[in-house]
Amino acid sequence: MKSNNRISPPRRLTDMIFRELYHQVPFNVAVIDRNYNVVDANKNFTEYFGNWKNKKCYAVYKKLKKPCKDCPSIEVFKKGKPIVADAVGIDQHGRKTHYVGHVFPLRTKEGGPVDYALEMTSTVTETDRWQQEYQILFDRVPCYITVIGEDYRIVRANEAFRNNFGEVLGQHCYKVYKRRTTKCPNCPAAKTFRDGRVHHSTQSGIGKRGQDIHYGVSTSPLMRGNDNIAHVIEISNDITALKKLEHQVIEAERLGAVGQTVAGLAHSIKNILMGLEGGKYIVSLGLNKNDKEMISEGWEMLERNFEKTTSLVKDFLSFSKGRLPQLKMIKPGFLVKEIVDLYKDIAAQSGIELKSEIDKNVKKAPLDPDGIHTCLTNLVSNAIDACIMGKQKGTEVNIKVSEGRDKLIFEVSDNGSGIDYEIKKKIFTTFFTTKGGEGTGLGLLTTRKIVQEHGGKILVDSEKGSGARFRMEFPRKRLMALYKEMK
Amino acid sequence: MQPKVLIIDDEADVIKYLTVVLKSNGFLPYSISSVKNAKAEVEKINPDLICLDIMMPEETGLSFYAKLKRDNNYRDIPVIIISGVVQAGEFDFQSYLSDNSMPPPDHFLEKPINVEEFICTINKLIKTGSSSKSGGDA
Repeated sequence: MKSNNRISPPRRLTDMIFRELYHQVPFNVAVIDRNYNVVDANKNFTEYFGNWKNKKCYAVYKKLKKPCKDCPSIEVFKKGKPIVADAVGIDQHGRKTHYVGHVFPLRTKEGGPVDYALEMTSTVTETDRWQQEYQILFDRVPCYITVIGEDYRIVRANEAFRNNFGEVLGQHCYKVYKRRTTKCPNCPAAKTFRDGRVHHSTQSGIGKRGQDIHYGVSTSPLMRGNDNIAHVIEISNDITALKKLEHQVIEAERLGAVGQTVAGLAHSIKNILMGLEGGKYIVSLGLNKNDKEMISEGWEMLERNFEKTTSLVKDFLSFSKGRLPQLKMIKPGFLVKEIVDLYKDIAAQSGIELKSEIDKNVKKAPLDPDGIHTCLTNLVSNAIDACIMGKQKGTEVNIKVSEGRDKLIFEVSDNGSGIDYEIKKKIFTTFFTTKGGEGTGLGLLTTRKIVQEHGGKILVDSEKGSGARFRMEFPRKRLMALYKEMK
Repeated sequence: MQPKVLIIDDEADVIKYLTVVLKSNGFLPYSISSVKNAKAEVEKINPDLICLDIMMPEETGLSFYAKLKRDNNYRDIPVIIISGVVQAGEFDFQSYLSDNSMPPPDHFLEKPINVEEFICTINKLIKTGSSSKSGGDA
């Protein structure tokens, strides 16, 4: 066979190779005799620890005057077997250094006693420093960090976590956080185990004294290479104070809204009462004077204001109903057409032209058809009223639907009487009407409510005497998010 | 001669009601349903007193009030604000008009009005004239 013909390199060459290797290996290599003398060392060792000739190993490695108590070479001399050890020494510049070493026994006679110890050390100072820094970071960051295994047991926890929850290694995370005996139904760690992605969520737990605690939780996969996810890192923050504050703000806003609504309702009721009082006064005066015309006038006033009471109550009940939008994928242009059909004749009767503009680029959108129909009805009937009140010729109302930058836009504009700035300030916050006997003042509030329920906003642009433009904007992303949530 | 009272209110029923009340109490009522032509009406009638609503289309009663008080020819006409916006005791005029030099209205009445109080106030104001004339408060 060809391999039998292989020619061995001359001994000198082998020596040269070994010598070269001895000096080039990325380790500090030193040979120590039984009396701790350094008898030989490679270039790396010399560069790292400095001059070693005629010196004891403990003086070179650690600048000591006596042998180290835990000398690994003594072990090798005693047992004749290689060992691995780590130690802390001082380099030739006086810097503290952490190194790991493999110590091998060297015998001059085969089967004889160990004459020398061959020490191959590599410094791990940098790695060690990184590890220490990482450990400090892990322990001191102002949040709880745990590493969770596939069985949901905590395998590591940082100092902040240990200080708050105690020594919990080996316990199930759901027991520690929530005192549960089974896995949480919406566990973010389970999601990360499943899809390998980072997940964020808000969780509620129970504190040491049984109090409710809210956490903001992030879970990230912990894997090496392409292996399966063996662990998940869970980082959580106590957001209880933030939640409380949020709750207080919502409560304050709710109370504010309740106050505004009650004030608005009182305003509407006062107007109706004024009409009822008026009717009563005129009827009574007519009876005193035996004036039939006056009695009939007062009676009509009473009837009108009773009717107003009915519509106010109906509108108010419909406004106060908490309702989630029932989203359906529809063509927005279709809704515009419906409204035009509904109001075309009414507008024409008052000499108003009702126009529509449907942008060809408008795509289907998840909308609550009834809700948007109500919004458009409110805005169009307001616009028609504004045109009638303006009492000008050539008035028109335009309904437009278009596609903006990632948003669907409905616009209702008119060239009627316009809105005074003082009214504009209040138009969406308090409910009142400037339409005399016609409105209850809830139309725009209801419209705003429906638009907000769709994740959108409503804007008004108006100058006194030059008409108004109401714009409902629905960000597409929010509509889709709501649609997915609803499904 | 009967004192002339101009009612400015967008609600037809309010106009009707106040007109009847004023007529049956010996006043000569005039009315207009928006602020738009109110100034022209004031110039035409030269009323002894104005009853003014706040919330009206096109322009609010308060912006008309400000215009009236800036006009030397008409600033002495007493004005009663009649509104359902706020309660009588809580009517903070300055929060509505950011002009500290503007004299406050002579009187504020909350809807629904008390007829006796209404007539009594009108009689008093027509007799004494607007407080803005004498520099006093309402």
